[in-house]
Amino acid sequence: MIKEILKNVFSKKQVIQFPEGFKVSPEQKAKIVDFQKKIDTIFRRSLRIRQVDAGSCNACEWECTALTNPIYDIQRFGIDFVASPRHADVLLVTGPVSRQMELALKRTALATPEPRLVVACGDCAKDGGIYKGSYAVTNGVANVIPVDAVIPGCPPTPTAIILALSELIDKVCTMN
Amino acid sequence: MERVRKKAVKTWEHLNESSFEVRTDDFRDVCRHLYEDLHAILRVMFACDEREKDGLFRIYTVFDLPGHDRFFIIVLPVQESDPRFPSLTQTIPAAHWYEREIRDLFGLSAQGHPDGRRLVFHEAFPADSHPLRKDWSMSETDKQEWGGGTTIKVPHPFMEVSGEGIVEIPVGPVHAGIIEPGHFRFSAIGETIFFLEPRLFYTHKGTEKHFETLAFPEGVKLAERVSGTSSFAHGAAYCMAVERMLGIAITEKASAVRTLVLELERIYNHIGDIGNMCAGTALSLGYMKGAVIKEQLMQLNEILTGSRYLRGLNVVGGVTKDVFEQADDILKTLDGATREYKALMELLLGSVSHVERLENTGKLSKDIARKLGVTGVAARASGLTDDLRKSHPHLLYDRLIFEAHTHEKGDVLARMMIRAEETECSLSMVQALLEGGYTGDLTVPLKAAPPFASALGYVETPRGSLFYWVMSDKDGKPLRVKLRSPSYCNWPAVPFAVHGNIVPDFPLCNKSFNLSYSGTDM
Repeated sequence: MIKEILKNVFSKKQVIQFPEGFKVSPEQKAKIVDFQKKIDTIFRRSLRIRQVDAGSCNACEWECTALTNPIYDIQRFGIDFVASPRHADVLLVTGPVSRQMELALKRTALATPEPRLVVACGDCAKDGGIYKGSYAVTNGVANVIPVDAVIPGCPPTPTAIILALSELIDKVCTMN
Repeated sequence: MERVRKKAVKTWEHLNESSFEVRTDDFRDVCRHLYEDLHAILRVMFACDEREKDGLFRIYTVFDLPGHDRFFIIVLPVQESDPRFPSLTQTIPAAHWYEREIRDLFGLSAQGHPDGRRLVFHEAFPADSHPLRKDWSMSETDKQEWGGGTTIKVPHPFMEVSGEGIVEIPVGPVHAGIIEPGHFRFSAIGETIFFLEPRLFYTHKGTEKHFETLAFPEGVKLAERVSGTSSFAHGAAYCMAVERMLGIAITEKASAVRTLVLELERIYNHIGDIGNMCAGTALSLGYMKGAVIKEQLMQLNEILTGSRYLRGLNVVGGVTKDVFEQADDILKTLDGATREYKALMELLLGSVSHVERLENTGKLSKDIARKLGVTGVAARASGLTDDLRKSHPHLLYDRLIFEAHTHEKGDVLARMMIRAEETECSLSMVQALLEGGYTGDLTVPLKAAPPFASALGYVETPRGSLFYWVMSDKDGKPLRVKLRSPSYCNWPAVPFAVHGNIVPDFPLCNKSFNLSYSGTDM
């Protein structure tokens, strides 16, 4: 293992901005590069996300986890998932918000310092999705806390999540 | 079995299910006989509101006898005027969650159950409100208060450990990582965990009740969204239950597609889990390598089905697409993935610091695993040969050559090794499946559901055995859909596995079980 680590440190490998597995069109690439510049200037190279599962089936969580794998590697854009809401700029909420998670979600939102952005990630978070109308869900994040952006998809792919975040930051920039 | 047959008031058979209706007085004795004398496994226990049929509730207890491809279902009618039934928990500990769940959802109470607390609903849910009863409704105020969470309607005292040097550490429901919500209460002496009590059901979404509002063919979409990484297995088990109830048999082709994709799902989960365990030992290199292989396999899923979670392929009556046409894509990706996976295993097993952390950590004894009805990887790592693919060959599993891998030690390392061995086995099963030519259409036409018909559906998911049970009402619509995910059986075993370990090893133990919260909470 040490050999492998040393090989990576001393080899003259070039940084590949978009590895083969990261399937994006040239326009999308331009968008992501522009997004990174905005993070550099507005958020001083650090946009921090706190992910909250409010009753999702866990597919959306795995897509968020996939964002941190070496293929998507969102840390290189300055984005990262943090452990505490107190460190977060963005609250990324998944799931239709089950009633037994409503209070925990509200409290997590309260613990996130202003100005904060709330993103509803996935079809369930958008309006309850397939679970819409069930007695134990509140049919979407917007019914519990104010939402700034919605990412559709069941689940949205890692690329879709990055692009949606870039659109949200664009929106915030034009507002200011 | 003779004894059970003699005590039965009514007996009926359907495919490989034998049902025996018994009287309340005989219920406990019949179940005890199956469990203690015949060493049957309690697979699932649930209630059904059949008052529109004959004014009764019924409790179904599904047993599985080792060595028989047959399920034995003990059926107990319960009167609405006397909503009680004898508890099995004292004899069969695996029944403890099922019985509490039946009380929460149906208001039928298990007499003699040692734990009087609710399981599914938290404090703010009203008392005497049972959502799976057909005549149930809930006022808007009650819903608001339930969501508000601050009005305590039924208290839920946690078990307390007292004594010198005991500290209580509450964790969750919102955790530090990107994981599902659940509350854990540790009682620790210094760093050592003395007792752990998990509080789950935060993601309870009323799934079983929601199934009743969807027609049988539409239910697949919901089944696929019960537990993200087992989407295909849930879809397949649900479809199997409905197909068996309707009395239709899917074609060889459709069976082959389902078998193939179930194995692909197992491979991506097992490799992903092995990688994730490295996060528990801070071995970032292994974690990232695992994540890369998993990503490649998920991209293969997308090429095959249009969904990274294999959704949309299953329909009642068959499958929507012939994935065998893309055999080249499958072989190409698996070829690369196998090479990288072998390198990963070499790296992990060659790393003393990693293996040392896994060895003797989170031990689950065979005795406890059997008593709690633990299933899947966790059961096989503790020495139980529990694999539905072997014991109840479904789809094309009877044609494939494989074995149920077992380890004796029951620690985290054993659970990792079971996953590693099964991955190799599944890879060769996929190769074998791709060689055969399969005949038949993708789907078969559906029939109308007969009134009050029921059937079981089951598959072996990457986590363990998964059961669906469906029953139609008088119009052929769903009267009841019961699902029992493997995580539901395995959660109660986690506190036993972590007892005596240090708190920092809890994430590692938890990752080695890799249980679904959403699948458990329903």
